Amino acid sequence: MWKEVRDREAGKLPTSAFASRVRSRRLSALAICNHKEIISPHHGAVNSLQVDLTEGRYLLSGASDGSAAIYDIQQATEYEKGLIAKHKSLFVVDKQHGYGHKFAISTVIWYPVDTGLFVTGSFDHYVKVWDTNMAQVVMDFKMPGKVYGTAMSSVAKAHMLIAAGSADVQVRLCDIASGAFTHTLSGHRGGIMNVEWSTSSEWILMTGGCDGAIRFWDIRRAGCFRILDQSQSQFGRRPPFPERTPTEVVTRTAAAGSSSVNKLISKKKATLGNGKKQSQAVCKLQNLTTSHTMHKSHPGTASSYSRATAHFGAVTGLRATRDGLYLLSSGSDSRLRLWDIESGCSISVNFEATRLQTNKAIQLALSQDSSAVFIPSMSNVKVYDVLSGLNLQTFYGHYDMVNCCYFNMQDQELYTGSNDRHILVWSPPSSSFSDMDEEERKRLNLKADEDNWSQ
Amino acid sequence: MSVWNYVVTAHKPTNVTHSCVGNFTSPQELNLIIAKCTRIEIHLLTAHGLQPMLDVPIYGRIATLELFRPHGEPQDFLFISTERYKFCVLQWDPDTSELITRAMGDVSDRIGRPTDNGQIGLIDPDCRLIGLHLYDGLFKVIPFDNKGQLKEAFNIRLEELQVLDIKFLYGCSRPTIVVLYQDNKDARHVKTYEVVLKDKDFVEGPWSQNNLDNGAGLLIPVPMPLGGVIIIGEETIVYCNGTIFKAIPIRPSITRAYGRVDADGSRYLLGDNAGLIHLLVITHERERVNGLKIEHLGETTVASTISYLDNAVVYVGSSYGDSQLIKLNLQPDAKGSYVEVLEAYVNLGPIVDFCVVDLERQGQGQVVTCSGAYKDGSLRIVRNGIGINEQASVELQGIKGLWSLRSSINDPYDSLLVVSFISETRVLAMNMDDELEESEIEGFSAEEQTLFCQNAIHDQLVQVTATVVRLVSSTTRQLLHEWNAPSGYSVNVATANASQVLLATGGGHLVYLEIEKEKLIEVKHIQLEYEISCLDINPIGENPNYTTVAAVGMWTDLTVRIFSLPSLELLTKENLGGEIIPRSILQCTFEGVSYLLCTLGDGHLLNFLLDINTGGLSNRKKVSLGTQPITLRTFSSKDTTHVFAASDRPTVIYSSNKKLLYSNVNLKEVSHMCPFNSAAFPDSLAIAKEGELSIGTIDDIQKLHIRTIPLGQHARRICHQEQSRTFSICCFKNCQISNEETEMHFIRLLDDQTFEFMSIFPLDSYEYGCSIISCSFSDDNNAYYCVGTAYVLPEENEPSKGRILVFAVEDGKLQLIVEKETKGAVYSLNAFNGKLLAAINQKIQLYKWTLREDGSRELQTECGHHGHILALYVQTRGDFIVVGDLMKSISLLLYKHEEGAIEELARDYNANWMSAVEILDDDVFVGAENNYNLFTVRKNSDAASDEERGRLEVVGEYHLGEFVNRFRHGSLVMRLPDSEVGNIPTIIFGTINGVIGVIASLPHDQYVFFEKLQANLVKVIKGVGGLSHEQWRSFNNEKRTADARNFLDGDLIESFLDLSRSRMDDIATSMGVTLEELCKRVEELTRLH
Repeated sequence: MWKEVRDREAGKLPTSAFASRVRSRRLSALAICNHKEIISPHHGAVNSLQVDLTEGRYLLSGASDGSAAIYDIQQATEYEKGLIAKHKSLFVVDKQHGYGHKFAISTVIWYPVDTGLFVTGSFDHYVKVWDTNMAQVVMDFKMPGKVYGTAMSSVAKAHMLIAAGSADVQVRLCDIASGAFTHTLSGHRGGIMNVEWSTSSEWILMTGGCDGAIRFWDIRRAGCFRILDQSQSQFGRRPPFPERTPTEVVTRTAAAGSSSVNKLISKKKATLGNGKKQSQAVCKLQNLTTSHTMHKSHPGTASSYSRATAHFGAVTGLRATRDGLYLLSSGSDSRLRLWDIESGCSISVNFEATRLQTNKAIQLALSQDSSAVFIPSMSNVKVYDVLSGLNLQTFYGHYDMVNCCYFNMQDQELYTGSNDRHILVWSPPSSSFSDMDEEERKRLNLKADEDNWSQ
Repeated sequence: MSVWNYVVTAHKPTNVTHSCVGNFTSPQELNLIIAKCTRIEIHLLTAHGLQPMLDVPIYGRIATLELFRPHGEPQDFLFISTERYKFCVLQWDPDTSELITRAMGDVSDRIGRPTDNGQIGLIDPDCRLIGLHLYDGLFKVIPFDNKGQLKEAFNIRLEELQVLDIKFLYGCSRPTIVVLYQDNKDARHVKTYEVVLKDKDFVEGPWSQNNLDNGAGLLIPVPMPLGGVIIIGEETIVYCNGTIFKAIPIRPSITRAYGRVDADGSRYLLGDNAGLIHLLVITHERERVNGLKIEHLGETTVASTISYLDNAVVYVGSSYGDSQLIKLNLQPDAKGSYVEVLEAYVNLGPIVDFCVVDLERQGQGQVVTCSGAYKDGSLRIVRNGIGINEQASVELQGIKGLWSLRSSINDPYDSLLVVSFISETRVLAMNMDDELEESEIEGFSAEEQTLFCQNAIHDQLVQVTATVVRLVSSTTRQLLHEWNAPSGYSVNVATANASQVLLATGGGHLVYLEIEKEKLIEVKHIQLEYEISCLDINPIGENPNYTTVAAVGMWTDLTVRIFSLPSLELLTKENLGGEIIPRSILQCTFEGVSYLLCTLGDGHLLNFLLDINTGGLSNRKKVSLGTQPITLRTFSSKDTTHVFAASDRPTVIYSSNKKLLYSNVNLKEVSHMCPFNSAAFPDSLAIAKEGELSIGTIDDIQKLHIRTIPLGQHARRICHQEQSRTFSICCFKNCQISNEETEMHFIRLLDDQTFEFMSIFPLDSYEYGCSIISCSFSDDNNAYYCVGTAYVLPEENEPSKGRILVFAVEDGKLQLIVEKETKGAVYSLNAFNGKLLAAINQKIQLYKWTLREDGSRELQTECGHHGHILALYVQTRGDFIVVGDLMKSISLLLYKHEEGAIEELARDYNANWMSAVEILDDDVFVGAENNYNLFTVRKNSDAASDEERGRLEVVGEYHLGEFVNRFRHGSLVMRLPDSEVGNIPTIIFGTINGVIGVIASLPHDQYVFFEKLQANLVKVIKGVGGLSHEQWRSFNNEKRTADARNFLDGDLIESFLDLSRSRMDDIATSMGVTLEELCKRVEELTRLH
């Protein structure tokens, strides 16, 4: 690290390269943490984990016993022997709580804007919105079935929607602002295991169902605009040119319309250009869709006839990369697939020797630069290189099935929750122990002894 | 509270990042355009060299800079893109000499990951499109339409993720890029793509080339008729164009920059890391390449850009040393080098570390920086003020006056120097050997003190003594005529110009004489009520030899009076106020504005605007220059008039943009000065100091002066020790040991006056010097240098071993007293309560200085604190410790004496990757981070809850656009106690681009006032290329962007003084203050640096 610090201060190493080098070095050194412990108050399997997006300080966990808890992962509640930081939960909401969930909590997420709210989804058919400071439910949404997954868009500026997937075939969007469902998205033929918002557009939602399909929705328009098909794969990272499938063209224009962030103000051209372009895009979209569907029906419903699947069996996990280019999915077929979001093609990456839980939604995690993915693989966690599929590392530590991973990008720490009711922390090694001087170690031991005697 | 901060640049960036040559200002003119990260300079090539035309700030860090010529345009346009994804196209406006924005826009994307290898921007040689590589996997295209206007941009997916370089190929029917990239097995290849504008996509290009040199890093597209591309590697250079492949081996080197010599692209200049410059020649026959040749030309600074100008003159821009203008000679010199350095341009960057010292003990700070890298490493002494380069000196005691004389009034050079003593006058003359030797002027009285001396208009010399005024022929040196003072009266003060003499005798008599061809004529004589203390008739009107106004300073009533000449009628009487008598008075003209300057016995200077016709005085201003009486004298340097104020703190008064500016001269006490422009010492000054007369040239009249101490190695840490009057530096040198590049690290001791190396301490192999301080310990009065090191082993990610070395300076040598092994790199050291506080990897560790039984000393561990990722930067104040972490922002620790423990009090929970921290006051700390931002945090000790007390509240945020390596308390200027800014605390920072900046903590009311001014200025002063000031200064990191708060942009505020009068008036009106008041307040701020 010293060399990097030195090269950075002399201007030889660009600051962005410095940061990514330090991060990837820390990432490659991840191991079970020797100085930090999270004391799980849960009496059931830990199903979902998330650290808040604003401060990177509070970890939220949800478990099968219907409880959810919050921990401060920056500030320890106590130290064991002055060195091992113990992080106890700041508070727990469980069945005893007046408004708590009756059955297992399957998903917990933070409100992306601040830490004042969080959202839980449970098998008791409810999605609940909690006020963090009061530990009270401020709003709930009754879903038609067991809730499997919820998501909020971290890039959203214009809406406050919770996308919720449940045992029902419809995806529902719950609006925190109004307390009502704003959308129901129909198309899946089975329950919805996973929902994930696009990282580049606040309007694009991606959902994975028990029917094995991954559907893309633009919530400003009716119907789903793309279904990922595992049979459509590309060998390079780029779709072959010039032959294109019609669906691809549709997606291209749609993407162009939504991501028109590139402004170009030349002198004569006023804002007029933008509006015109969008309308063109819409025209083109309609033309194209009508050309390959025979019905006069709604453009969105066209896709509902498609039976293309992304996985054999259910789609159990979904995660979009931060750069907005790729989507990772896991299925009950024990496969992990990488998708190019723009073209909708599956990219042929062979993720070595994956073995995944089949009956439950799992939570994948990506590293900061999206180069590595963390996958619960039975009772282990495996780390793969996203683009090559190489198994970089396998973490052994849990005694039972691992359900969820969350990667804390701020500290390069990984948190995993498992059926063994524990939450484990994986971090780059800290040499606090090894670099302690002899005298100091003696002193600490002495202190510990004293305590024993006095007791 | 230091919450309200004012950030201003004292030394502009000098790191040259880009340069290009083209016809920008007119179709006939050739321009060199230089980008210095956040500034652009436009120069014109003339027969005499480079002539600066424009130097403007850019509201962004320049990522790419390209000149291009759209179809149908007679001259070039400039394309700039910034690191924060803005771009603009600029055109020169010959009428106003400003830049016009042709187009601008935003090229940021929501998808894609920003490239780590740097942004690439390029323009198709046939001007069909602009290509940008800003995000991994995406290539952005901005097409031109037929009229040369830019159209809507679009992205193309680029399969190659690790792109090293992209260039457009010449002579292709469709725009074709060539991409140098690295695959995931770290092999490097080149591939071409054609851009199909209609489909907005790539088609596979005409050729590709796999498995190149592993160090290949630079592409040079070759123009038609040859076409193709040159690929520069570390060990080979390859030419290929799909059909022809030619490669030559080269001596291993990393090529940083290239410059094309000929328009047909057959010769290129290559500059490498070691500062060597090579000529690469493509040999060809009938437009078919048949080989490459490379020739070593010589050594320059380490080049970051090379621009071939014309006639074998080349501009070499550098990031690591001084930029140069070189000439390539046809014949090698004695050392075999073809390179002749014509000019060097100072570059302070990268400032890795610096210290603020007051070497002259004058109360004025100097900054000594560790600048440069590789072979161009150096120490730079930066000070505010003007230096005198002494060329000759003689010991002479008791000088009372000093004048230079010419042999004839039309002679361009001075040849005689008249030196006056208490009871004699001596004349010094230049002899044939250009030495000063004693001479004689027969007509002069040598046994008296001379009061004034002057060349007169008809080839005469005038000497005024206490009793007599003598007119002497300058050719025969014989006395022509004399005027005797009335008996009983002696002349007290006298002055003269080429045709007039004004003198005052006791009893308040004022006598005016005119010089005729053969004699002196007493024209007028009046008696004033009090004694006269000083007078002046320096011509300020149109006639350089005659003036119609005289200025007189009086004893007793303490007035300045303006008389008309020759009538000696009183025009104006100005009361000075106070109790101090005027000691020297001078009327002079700067930039067409006439001033009256008057100095008082206590070192103050008053200046007035002087109306030559009416003698009216207005616009009185008072500044303090020193503590002793000041004598004023004009001199000219570079054809401009300046005033030298000789006193205990000699100062040069000059004018810039019709403002009077004061620059310190770096001399101790000066009693007298006169210009002495002799043939042997052109443009020199004769200066009478205590016991010495010296002749020297003066630096350029400007604010900051830089002296360079070349080291030939890279200095990384510096510190000054007052007691031993030494500097100590950690530095290293690259050495070639049996084909392997290794680094040798040293601790060096330098004299703080001469900067000579006094002692050297080599560190172990693999041992790096990381930190150095000078401190003393409790129970030990000696001063020690403490050095922290790290053993950087190739196989270790993070150093696991280091040392703390404690040195004493004995007989000018470094003496190792104590060494203590540590379990990691010692990133930072601080003196702390008579103990030593070290930051070692993740840990803060406190050491006691203890005495062993045998009398030797030892560093003993006292306590420590864990919990950092890497504690890189540490500052202390009292018992408080402020830590800047590698990636976890700032935390505040407290040392508890009773428990002997260090505890964390509070921290900032943001994820800032720190580059420097400093303590502003008890509660407020400032930090600089990886994304070029500054921020301040405040301790919340009064907060109600533990949670709030444990959190450092972010109170200020600002995008500086510079990477700060170090903050230090101190000031570059002398603090004048009477001015308002005298009490404003300041810190200085140094950056990679060579910027020295100042952060001043303003009182709240001042802050509010200037914030309002800034808001008004933003409306009036538009950014170049339409870039927004608000966006530029907004805090920006990977996670979020937020408006700047509690920081003011001093560069913008001070540019108020450069506005036109009418705009200034408008702003003053909208601010609700008078223009004078506003100017005064802004001028006061400019005195902070």
